Amino acid sequence: MSIYSEISENLQKGKAKVVRALVEQAVADGCPAAEILGEGLLSGMNIVGEKFKKNEVYVPEVLVAARAMNMGIDVLKPLLAEDGVQSAGRVCIGTVQGDLHDIGKNLVKMMMEGKGLEVIDLGVDVSPETFVQTAVEQDCDIICCSALLTTTMEVMAEVVKKAEEAGIRDRVKIMVGGAPVTDAFCQQIGADRYTSDAASAADAAVELCKEE
Amino acid sequence: MTERERFIKALKREPIEGHCPTFELVFFLTLEAIGRIHPSQQCFSQWKQMTAAEQKLHIDYMADTYIGTAEKYHHSAIFVHPNPDDFENTVRLLETIREKTGDKYYLTMHGDCTFGIPDGDGMMAFSERMYEDEEGLKAEAERNLANSVRYAEKMAKYPGLLDGFTLCADYCFNVNPFFSPSQFGEFIAPYLQRVIRAYHDLGFYSIKHTDGNIMPILDQMVQCGPDALHSLDPQGGVDLAEVKRLYGDKVALCGNVNCGLLQTGTEEEVIADARRALRDGMNGWGYIFCTSNCAYTGLPLERYELMNRVWWEEGVYPAH
Repeated sequence: MSIYSEISENLQKGKAKVVRALVEQAVADGCPAAEILGEGLLSGMNIVGEKFKKNEVYVPEVLVAARAMNMGIDVLKPLLAEDGVQSAGRVCIGTVQGDLHDIGKNLVKMMMEGKGLEVIDLGVDVSPETFVQTAVEQDCDIICCSALLTTTMEVMAEVVKKAEEAGIRDRVKIMVGGAPVTDAFCQQIGADRYTSDAASAADAAVELCKEE
Repeated sequence: MTERERFIKALKREPIEGHCPTFELVFFLTLEAIGRIHPSQQCFSQWKQMTAAEQKLHIDYMADTYIGTAEKYHHSAIFVHPNPDDFENTVRLLETIREKTGDKYYLTMHGDCTFGIPDGDGMMAFSERMYEDEEGLKAEAERNLANSVRYAEKMAKYPGLLDGFTLCADYCFNVNPFFSPSQFGEFIAPYLQRVIRAYHDLGFYSIKHTDGNIMPILDQMVQCGPDALHSLDPQGGVDLAEVKRLYGDKVALCGNVNCGLLQTGTEEEVIADARRALRDGMNGWGYIFCTSNCAYTGLPLERYELMNRVWWEEGVYPAH
């Protein structure tokens, strides 16, 4: 078994310390950082994401896999920076104003990171202005809005409106999700993509970044 | 037959005449509905500084708020959120409701000891513990169980006051449960079963609530022996008719009126959904009509009143 397969398999089992040690070993053996990331860590997280979409694994398994991935990435970060490796895209994510629920948002964030995206977490109770301002200042490809409450999902329409007013809609995509949100609602407010689960959100984000 | 008796018959899945019972886990819209502030929206930071007379006025006010809501919407049960929530004041509030209404209403309150979905900040640490600190987590579950049973034992010394506990730890997202079925079987179900058994032994009914898609763990939840399941969330894909078909002979069912439609659907959709829930739920007894969550802050009151009107006009069992 290659060291990349070992990294991937241990990541899928959530064995964070083992993953970290294997990544350190791969670096010591002279493997390129980008290859360790892509063929080891992200490959393992992709498999977890696919299994999650098929209901073959549940959230805690995803979380411990993400933890293992992050421990591996910590080792690689300085090397990736040295090598000038770019992320697959940049996303700012948050739970919309008036809503303090963050479970879904955090899951999406982890899944997106597992796809090699850079994710700026704005937290909860995020105003439309903050989403748009961050997208402008941090040169984000995607604004990703989460809501759990039927009473707060209307704020997503305001995010779309503010993004239009700021003149960034031609270069910044807007994704929406959360328990009460539907594809019909996404279309109604003029957002770009709705997904029903965290793994699909990460897939959609990668697609949207490639389109740009 | 009192509302309480009607509610208990529904929990026991026994035939009843007249209206199918209805209630809400929380009815936050009291200010709009009856001009009174909901107890959980009140702050009593100076409670201990108050005279006994002032405390009694507040408790009377809270009791009247619960009773007024139940009377306006013909609820059979009152879900009490004691505030302050210490044992002594909880008993005072329950006693006050009983003094004012006798045995008219089924009284229930929170009583879950099991782990629910952790919040976003805590879910990683909690998940790590399921893999790396199983024994520590189980020891915590045991402590929580012991605390709940101790509380119920104290409450049982006041016979006729509280009818049952509602267990409100959420287990599920819309797509799936947080816990895998095997994790649910290891960390949740044993404690859920034991606390429900303890409540039953002490004479309390139990209603188990969770949002989301319960289907992967539904069998385990039913095996734990609750009298009823609440809220059968259609936004989590829960089909009331299917749950009724699978488990209608083992557990009573509460809820399933789609909160998403109540918020954003048309009036026609709300009416159709309330009718669907009544049709699927009332079939074969053992159904309590209510929303698939609660009458939460921000829900348009007129939408709740619309579903309540459909129930009042159509949620009636034929004479037998």
